[in-house]
Amino acid sequence: MLAGGFAAGAFGSLLGLGGGVLIVPMLTLGFDLPLREAFGVSLACVVATSAAAAATYLERRVADLRLAMRLELFTATGAVAGGLLAFALDEGLLAGLFALVLVYVAATMVRGAVGPAAREATPEATSPPTKPRSLPLGAAGSTFGGVVSGLLGIGGGVIIVPLVHLGLGLPLRVATATSTLMVAVTAAASGIVYLVRGGIDPYVLGPTAVGVFVGAVLGSRSAERIDLRILRLLFIAVLVYTAAQMVRRAIAPT
Amino acid sequence: MRPIEGRLAQLMARGSVVAIGLLAIGIGLMVARGISPLDVAPSLDPGRLVADLAALHPAGYLWLGAIAILGLPIARLGLSVVVFAGSGERRSAIVGLATLAVIFVGVVVGLAGRG
Repeated sequence: MLAGGFAAGAFGSLLGLGGGVLIVPMLTLGFDLPLREAFGVSLACVVATSAAAAATYLERRVADLRLAMRLELFTATGAVAGGLLAFALDEGLLAGLFALVLVYVAATMVRGAVGPAAREATPEATSPPTKPRSLPLGAAGSTFGGVVSGLLGIGGGVIIVPLVHLGLGLPLRVATATSTLMVAVTAAASGIVYLVRGGIDPYVLGPTAVGVFVGAVLGSRSAERIDLRILRLLFIAVLVYTAAQMVRRAIAPT
Repeated sequence: MRPIEGRLAQLMARGSVVAIGLLAIGIGLMVARGISPLDVAPSLDPGRLVADLAALHPAGYLWLGAIAILGLPIARLGLSVVVFAGSGERRSAIVGLATLAVIFVGVVVGLAGRG
């Protein structure tokens, strides 16, 4: 589990993804954990990695703190609703929805939007925040991102980054940094719902979170030395295979 | 006084190291006691937390680490509210306070729906 978490953290940081889309399949398909328990552990792991990354972005003043706080009100609302909804829905349906997210992430990576975005978004210099275009769009998109995060145990960056960059018109680097800030609060808001509903197992969380954290730190330091094109192609294949396994689980839940 | 971003960055960086440190201690204690990650874990009982920590029971450190992780962004929100309120940025302070209220409602509704 420690090694699996390490791999999820390292691959996630190399490819510019939060850990959720990797941790959930690792725990459910690899260790046969119930989906909701995997979602709860995944959310806590996402908080750990995004909080550490957010510290760097804040220190370098790349993230737009005030915009993040405004949008967090909506992502947190969606995340709480999503977290509560996850305990009301059938596990097969959750597996099917998770498979859809995996396919969406794979499609995004095929277009080359996720990997290069993360590389480009590496905070190297201070950049002043810019004015967002449409806050109502931001509010609606953030609420949706929060629901997806809470419902499926992911950080929601796959929705929030395009929303802030393409929808609100902020530069990609600022959008990624601002999204990282928001992901920590979003995942914490739903993670607490999972915690109080008994959806987090401490014996699973410990090794997974420590592995993810160490993997993410080492992965981000190795990004410059690794050919990410091959890694990305390999990862797309893994995502598609995992999505197929999730569909199988959706049809015949364990 | 440091800008708010620097103070929040310090909180997040130190907090995540402390939280991961607590989980790492918990893993060490799991190994020492021969506990597998797939064993049945005790549920969270805040009243037993201090006793578990004193008895070097892994669940105590792991639960405290979990609470520290999930509490970190909330602490960031809380500190933001205090700093913004103190510097006269009422709008940002109110938005932060509203987000904290949403999270609190989530805890209350989550507890109410617990089996």
